[in-house]
Amino acid sequence: MLAKALRKWPYLIIAALLALLILAPFDWFLGQYRTLMIFIGLSTMVTVGLCLLLGYTGQVSLGQAAFYGLGAYFSAVLSKNYYINPWLAMLIAAMATVTFAYVIGYPIFRLRGNYLAMATLGIGIIMWILFRQLSQFTGGPDGMTGIPFLSIGGFAFESSFRRYFLVWGFCLAVLLISQNIVNSRTGRALRAIHGSEAAAESIGINVAQFKVKIFVLSAVFASLAGSLFVHHLRFVSPQPFDFFASVKLVVMAVIGGLASVWGAIFGAGATRILSDELLLRFGEWDVVIYGAILMLVMIFMPEGLFVKLKDIVGQVRSRFERRGAES
Amino acid sequence: MNEPILVTRNLGKSFGGIVALDEVDLSIETGKITAIIGPNGAGKTTLFNLITGVYPVSTGEIHFQGKLLGRIPAHKRAHFCIARTFQHIHLFGNMTVLENVMTGQHPRSSYGFLEAALRLLPKARREEEAISLKAMRYLNMVGLGMHASQNALSLPLGQQKLLAIARALATEPQLLLLDEPGAGLNRLEKRELSDLIHRIRELGISVILVEHDMPLVMGLAEWVIVLDSGQKIAEGTAAQVQKDQRVISAYLGEEEVE
Repeated sequence: MLAKALRKWPYLIIAALLALLILAPFDWFLGQYRTLMIFIGLSTMVTVGLCLLLGYTGQVSLGQAAFYGLGAYFSAVLSKNYYINPWLAMLIAAMATVTFAYVIGYPIFRLRGNYLAMATLGIGIIMWILFRQLSQFTGGPDGMTGIPFLSIGGFAFESSFRRYFLVWGFCLAVLLISQNIVNSRTGRALRAIHGSEAAAESIGINVAQFKVKIFVLSAVFASLAGSLFVHHLRFVSPQPFDFFASVKLVVMAVIGGLASVWGAIFGAGATRILSDELLLRFGEWDVVIYGAILMLVMIFMPEGLFVKLKDIVGQVRSRFERRGAES
Repeated sequence: MNEPILVTRNLGKSFGGIVALDEVDLSIETGKITAIIGPNGAGKTTLFNLITGVYPVSTGEIHFQGKLLGRIPAHKRAHFCIARTFQHIHLFGNMTVLENVMTGQHPRSSYGFLEAALRLLPKARREEEAISLKAMRYLNMVGLGMHASQNALSLPLGQQKLLAIARALATEPQLLLLDEPGAGLNRLEKRELSDLIHRIRELGISVILVEHDMPLVMGLAEWVIVLDSGQKIAEGTAAQVQKDQRVISAYLGEEEVE
């Protein structure tokens, strides 16, 4: 019987996870971790984009926090200083990010490997400096407060309970879209680029264009997450968008398994719990721990912790099934 | 006589000071199997790379079915019905055998990011069905149907080469370029390969192959072109070329020494 239950496990697990996701924010359950879970949702959105770019297409970005920041600052500045409807501000932020990613995408993806990493790293750092220096708009290093909540009609997302569902709604949509893309003609083209650019070109895939498009999509995911972020905290400062934030995003993607869409939740969750709850007492030394995690995962489970766990579960399951068949 | 499928005039390519191909005039007949042979460094792979647009030509021009290829980028040439395989195979190691062939259908399908993201749209679903059906057909044609769900790189070398051919066929080419398809294969695999190439010809696809294995070339090619140091030194049927004195000294002679 156990074997039978295990055979259906993907559906059972999905149902269980969904139930967990819906019940988690209630005070009688995991309500005390609501803020943490909102941040996990936001990080997941950015991480999924990075998985598509890095894990599936094989193109590294060490500046993903820049797009997260672009979304955040556009939303913050437009909705607070210019009184633009937060939803419209979010849309404008996403469109500005698309434009920016397109414009830098074509020159930047002429580079490969380490050079691409350096260029994206540079963009991340430049954006971070702009967030600090354009203080007449952004409030400089101190940031800005009093950003309005999002609302639909009279329904304002003013409690963290409501925002939890808003963020996870967006997050699930992003995950589903990514999942669909991965298993499609487009997804195959992206994976082909990772496999062999020469062969991809030879079967008619416009490598340069696909690289830029997936870069833009990952930037949009990050931008949306950034907008949700500022309407959640109602405060923005340059700190969450610095170089280290970009590195942390790579850590999340790696832990989740680079070529695994749903692993992103796992990667973002594990890293967020580490950074927001467990590693606080280490202060700035936590960088060392992230470095060690990144190294260990890359050496011992290059397919990612999440994928590794999935394999182990699969092995246990087939052992149970074999035993079930024998008896 | 049919119009030739591929014509090159004065075709040349140099890398810096090194001339890889020098004023080569070729005319490849439609629907035939043509072999290009020559010692290492003769410019055979360079020729393939010019036809498929990997490099721009230095001099001269290439006409495909009467159209000038000019500066058409590499990825568009698959849409023009030119496909190729590589000496170093270049399979997609992050995909299954079937997915490799499905990816080959790229130029024969059109749905993009948006339709992919919103999977339920009928266009994406319809195309996806057609893609996997056709991919399976090409996979069966090369005899790899039962390995469909395996990882591509888990196949032995011989089958990897067949898979690369299936992937190229999936682009539905009219001209197929095979770069050393026989290299590294054992005798049985070579026989299977030569059967497969005959069947490809029967589909009406013109085949050009670069090959070092003389018995394979002699058994397959209806026309043989010999390159040496970037120049065409002879062409003709296999029997004619074998008797050509310049070919024997440039190429076959060297082969006998080995």
